[in-house]
Amino acid sequence: MIRVLFFATIRNLTRENQATVPSAATVRDLIEALSERYGKAFRDEAFEGNEVSGRLIVMVNGRSIAHTGGGSTPLSDGDTVAIFPLVGGG
Amino acid sequence: MYGWTGNVLRVNLTDGTFRKEPLRVKDAEAFIGARGLASKYWIDDVKDLSVDPLSPRNNLLFATGPLTGTLATSGGRYEVVCKAPLTGALAASNSGGYFGPELKYAGYDLIIFEGKAPKPVYLYIYNDSVEIRDASALWGKTTHETTDALLAETDPDAKVACIGPAGEKGVLFAAVINDKHRAAGRSGVGAVMGSKNLKAVAVRGTKGLKVADPAAFLKVVGEARKKLAANPVTSAGLPAYGTNVLVNILNQAGGLPTRNFQTGHFEEADAISGETLASTLLVTKKGCAGCTSACGRVSKTTGQFAGSGEGPEYETAWSFGADCGISDLSAVTKANFLCNELGIDTITMGSTIACAMELFEKGILTEEETGMDLSFGNAAAMVEMVKKTGLREGFGDKLALGSWRLASSYGHAELSMTAKKQEMPAYDPRALQGMGLEYATSNRGGCHVRGYLTSPEILGLPQKLDPDSIEEKPAWLKAFQDLTASFDSSGICLFTTFAIGAEELAAQMAAATGVPYTAEQIMKAGERIWNLERLFNLAVGFTSADDTIPSRLMKEPIPTGPAKGKISRLPEMLPRYYEVRGWDESGVPTDAKLAELGLARL
Repeated sequence: MIRVLFFATIRNLTRENQATVPSAATVRDLIEALSERYGKAFRDEAFEGNEVSGRLIVMVNGRSIAHTGGGSTPLSDGDTVAIFPLVGGG
Repeated sequence: MYGWTGNVLRVNLTDGTFRKEPLRVKDAEAFIGARGLASKYWIDDVKDLSVDPLSPRNNLLFATGPLTGTLATSGGRYEVVCKAPLTGALAASNSGGYFGPELKYAGYDLIIFEGKAPKPVYLYIYNDSVEIRDASALWGKTTHETTDALLAETDPDAKVACIGPAGEKGVLFAAVINDKHRAAGRSGVGAVMGSKNLKAVAVRGTKGLKVADPAAFLKVVGEARKKLAANPVTSAGLPAYGTNVLVNILNQAGGLPTRNFQTGHFEEADAISGETLASTLLVTKKGCAGCTSACGRVSKTTGQFAGSGEGPEYETAWSFGADCGISDLSAVTKANFLCNELGIDTITMGSTIACAMELFEKGILTEEETGMDLSFGNAAAMVEMVKKTGLREGFGDKLALGSWRLASSYGHAELSMTAKKQEMPAYDPRALQGMGLEYATSNRGGCHVRGYLTSPEILGLPQKLDPDSIEEKPAWLKAFQDLTASFDSSGICLFTTFAIGAEELAAQMAAATGVPYTAEQIMKAGERIWNLERLFNLAVGFTSADDTIPSRLMKEPIPTGPAKGKISRLPEMLPRYYEVRGWDESGVPTDAKLAELGLARL
């Protein structure tokens, strides 16, 4: 089971703050499963072509996938994936 | 002149005189305005850099930049500059709202306050008319009461910057508050204003501004605005959630300092997040002058912590929330309202209470001394401590000195989460290596807006840097520090740098001022300002030993959360940072670097 957390404007697309997905081999597979669940608006935000969109910040157990292989980042049972839009502040 | 007004108002509070002087044009071109130019003026005017910050010889400047009040991107900023009582470094505290533009419209780039008034006064400016007026009846009033009274007494369209009781009573981290809710917050500029018996500055300006090439200016501003509109941070995230959108992302990265930096993960972070604020206490968003992002939060609380006002920003939600172990957003927001009304910096206030809470939990502080249970998570006690600090009542009198002096007085300076005696904000240097180097080398002490490496390390802007890596951080930090110095000095908001950079700033500066700034010159001016601040610090006795962060962060691995096991690797980064800065191994700028920048040692 993979736990997925949604934040900021992503919650407008999912209408929930968190979800679980039984299994996914990679982050790309997970995003695909979530796109099936949440529909076109989510898919449009989450994918650029076949790649996970650069407009998302995706962390697996606190590590951004930007530094672990992007959409190919492998997932394991028990992982927590956090999905944010590009945000900033200070 | 164009962009700049070309006028400086010099006020001697001791003898109640003032005069208008022409702006020093060469200095303005080299140091831009606001933070940079006011620092240059302070150093040249005061000369004796060792001056006691709370003595009449410490000058206090209200400083705008050449883009303040123009149509430039988010050009609503000004700075309050003086020697800081909290740190002993130069304070340059940046604020938004509407005060800075109004000062420009009245025809002034800078106001320089010298000396000390024999009794409480305020300065009223209506274009060329300047009056030093009695403020005895305002002494003791909150910033909101003061602002309302001055708008009634002067002009309802005036803009007011003032201090509250905290500034009057010398709280070492008292803020100057303008437009009721915007703070020149850090380092104690409000205490310096109070030490001068200067309660407020009220200004009304109707002169407008001139830019050198209006057509070119509108063109480059339009192009920059398109970039702000296309950027998801400046066009969507900041308007929707304010800066507090960061709570969850920093927490997920394991870098949200919790319970006085004892760990980097707060279990109840979502309760104090921007998302929760937006769905509960938020009334509406609010922008500063000329801003298209409107990250300000107008909010309202009810119940035990009832109130209304603005905030909280991310740093405030963190300081009164996670850092104090508190998940009650109403309490956090109420503490923010009180800080605005009493005139207190929220970052140092929250972090000082968090330090007191750790001292309390470790048995170093007793309930007899504090007057109440200061355990982490006690929201009512936290709010009460803010009030007591602003009024310097009871234990608040000790909190009023900041966490470094508080913890040192009990022999535990190591529990003060400060760099150069100023409290660090809301990013754990163990989870974000670049931010540790940023805190350690910030010329004004612990601070996030002097080279915001959180942007590449967590947000991936302008490109994605691994928060755990150290190799590229020194060079990135130098670039961010220099760029930030130029943005701060120009009068436009640092948050625009999520979408625009030196090219867009140079284009706006050139069209506004008529000085043909290039991106390279903008970066060089920023480097000049950075080195001037460094020379000041070296001259007043700071050394490379002060370029550090609390030992906890370099020795105690984060015990919980996603960044568990990590420590700051600051000692490995610092020598490389000095090298990329063109400084020697002791952190002193070399002769060659100073010659390149046109600076002399102080």
